[in-house]
Amino acid sequence: MLQIKPILSMLLRSKSSPLLLLLQIILSVAIVANASFIIHERLALMDRDSGVVEQEVFDFTMYSFDPSVDLVQQQHKDLQLIRDLPGVKSATFSSMTPLSGGGWSSSFTIGTSEEDERSAPNSAMYYGDEQMVDTLGVKLIEGRNLRPEEILPTFTDSGVKGIVSKAFADQAFPDESAVGKVIYNGNLGEEAIEIIGVVERLQGAWVNSDNLEYSVIIGVELTNAFMRYLVRAEEGTFTRLKEQIPEVLHKDQKNRVIQNFTTLTEHRTSVYRDHELMASVLSLMVVLLLLITSLGLTGMVMFNIERRTKQIGTRRALGATKRDVVSLFLVENYIICLVGGVVGGLLAIALGQQLMQHYDLPQLEWQYPLATIVGLVIVTTLAVVFPATKAAKISPAIATRSV
Amino acid sequence: MFFYYLDLACRSIKKTPFLSVLMVLAISIGIGITITTLNIYKMASVNPAGERSDKLFAVQLWSQGEDSWDEFNPQITYQDSFNLRRGDIPVRQTPMFRTGGAIQTDNPDLAPILEGVRVTDSDFFSLFSVPFLYGQAWDKSVDQQAKYEVVINADLNQQLFGGENSVGRTLYINRKPYKVVGVVDHWSPKPKYYDVNNGAFNDSEQVFVPFSLTPIEEYQSWGNNQGWKHEDTRTVAAKIVSEQHWLQYWVELKDQHDVELYTAWVRSYIEQQQAPGRFNSPNADVQIMDVADWLIENQVVAEDNKVLVGLSALFLVVCLVNMLGLLLAKFLKRAPEVGVRRAIGASRAQIFSQHMVEVGLIGFCGGIIGLLWAWGALSLLAAKFELEQALTSLDMSMWLVAPTIAISAALVAGIYPAWRVCSTNPSIYLKSQ
Repeated sequence: MLQIKPILSMLLRSKSSPLLLLLQIILSVAIVANASFIIHERLALMDRDSGVVEQEVFDFTMYSFDPSVDLVQQQHKDLQLIRDLPGVKSATFSSMTPLSGGGWSSSFTIGTSEEDERSAPNSAMYYGDEQMVDTLGVKLIEGRNLRPEEILPTFTDSGVKGIVSKAFADQAFPDESAVGKVIYNGNLGEEAIEIIGVVERLQGAWVNSDNLEYSVIIGVELTNAFMRYLVRAEEGTFTRLKEQIPEVLHKDQKNRVIQNFTTLTEHRTSVYRDHELMASVLSLMVVLLLLITSLGLTGMVMFNIERRTKQIGTRRALGATKRDVVSLFLVENYIICLVGGVVGGLLAIALGQQLMQHYDLPQLEWQYPLATIVGLVIVTTLAVVFPATKAAKISPAIATRSV
Repeated sequence: MFFYYLDLACRSIKKTPFLSVLMVLAISIGIGITITTLNIYKMASVNPAGERSDKLFAVQLWSQGEDSWDEFNPQITYQDSFNLRRGDIPVRQTPMFRTGGAIQTDNPDLAPILEGVRVTDSDFFSLFSVPFLYGQAWDKSVDQQAKYEVVINADLNQQLFGGENSVGRTLYINRKPYKVVGVVDHWSPKPKYYDVNNGAFNDSEQVFVPFSLTPIEEYQSWGNNQGWKHEDTRTVAAKIVSEQHWLQYWVELKDQHDVELYTAWVRSYIEQQQAPGRFNSPNADVQIMDVADWLIENQVVAEDNKVLVGLSALFLVVCLVNMLGLLLAKFLKRAPEVGVRRAIGASRAQIFSQHMVEVGLIGFCGGIIGLLWAWGALSLLAAKFELEQALTSLDMSMWLVAPTIAISAALVAGIYPAWRVCSTNPSIYLKSQ
């Protein structure tokens, strides 16, 4: 029924136009497969959960420029003032904000003696007080939270308590509970942090880092001239609070600049902006490429069919049904499409390997070329059916008149 | 003859509107995508130092111990920058870092403004060719004998002093009075090549203060600080004597000879420092790079951009193959007409050039429309992703680049179809007329 042999010989005899179609399909498959793979990979990155209740949390910075102010006392007062505002659920000072692209990190030392001394993975350091866990909204899955009296005014060699993310705990202390263990912020024995709890998930600030999931909350007070605060408030109160907080704090002490109120949602958008940009541009490219390829296919097929009107008429006169004519063109183009698809798929993998070698991109997965070929088959069908049906409608008498 | 062909081309395009629109669309989209990515790439990789690019050098030192970082850090330590300042080979040189503070004036109605401040030597301004609106840099003697003097950028001058000549006026940084000695005329190179580690596309600082004030005022670093060993660096006093890397260092050297002299001089400095136990790695050395290399080394152009340019070039190729097919279809359909023209005396060369003119015209239209696509795409990207203006404004050169690429690409695609049609044998077509 599908006369592949005559179609093949027909294709082989007409030189240029099927070849051009083939070339176009090969290139399209190679580009679309790689582009959609990159898109998928970026979207997967952006989809990761930070562990934080992002819609309720915002941060701001404060710069105190009056040297006569007692920063420690002022900070206690400030935090109380913020926490007393209506709508605020909890608040803390912090060394950094998740997903903000900037912050503190350190590789902690672990071990009990020089023999088993090793480095824990480089992880984000969240200095904060007993409200840090609630402010971020991270879920404590083991151990307990920090208590107010456990927040120390400065880092000392012992007595500091901390909470780590599960990813950190699993990496630093595989096969055993991290609670009760000690990590050192320095050489062995220096600036010990006793782990008292583990949270399910807490990301750091650098979304392109392999160590994004490793975080440590440290119960040590920070009182610098330049400070960052994290606030968790009911949804919808942000616009009011960003006016109210500076007002209340300035009333208490005016020699400081309070600014940069940013929600975590905004931080997320800006930190993933490059990835979103890449994914958008590539999506646009894929859509346009498919559009161009299908338009080109349609144009070529229309031309081919028009040129072969007499042939169609002859076939019809010799007893071919309209369906036969349409399927003839479909099969012809499927052959081109599949050959192009396979070659294009191989090219896509080769191109993917080049990209992987030269740029920091992961290996292309085989599903992407395959999906592209399937997409192309659909596009081909659409591009062929319309002109072929039209051509098959021509009466054999007209089509063969001048033969 | 050219205009006659142009006229023929217009008629031919009108005769097959669907195919022609398809071709123009294909090439314009290809050009649009290519120009968009090329523009972003070009804007990101522009070398703002211009012709001084090969005279300005960033200095890096391998001062880390063994078994720590395995490459040069882009920044150096305070003690090294302090010592390098003594060198007399460079024409100009300056250490620098970013700090910040609350800015106030004598006007009590003005709320304090938090601004980034660059701490640097007087050479900074001539080294990077900073233009002055009023006044000038502080005197060279201030680099040794610290004085509370400040240079501000025009935007801040507008904000603080209403844009008037503010030289001689006083402003307060963290409540300390500084005398304004100069106002910079809107200067903000993109990329910010003198400090690419702390936001390569950020605006320049609005305030510049003398480096010699650092130990007195204990400016906090507002940039990246990297240490390779555990040290207490919580106070500026401790940081100044530490091994932390947090300053940028630039020198201006007038020729290759001086580059070698300077490198040798820094190496001898490294040897001196090895006596008290610093620079104890076997790799201890100096590396100096001019602006162009510096931008590449610090990957100011994101890899994503390169991938995009590559993919869009391939995209353009697809568009061309597409166009080639369509042109072939269109021209061959016209073979009978060409047969008649050939029979009444047109040479092959004439037929060929007639068709090439038509292809060129299609390419030109595609190029112009492609530019419009690119302009639209760039504005859309700028609005949606709040990209820096510097990256998304359509570069003037693109007005030339786009039609050139479009026409030459179209001509390349047109060669085969035009050759096919001019090599047809007229007798075949004449027979069936």
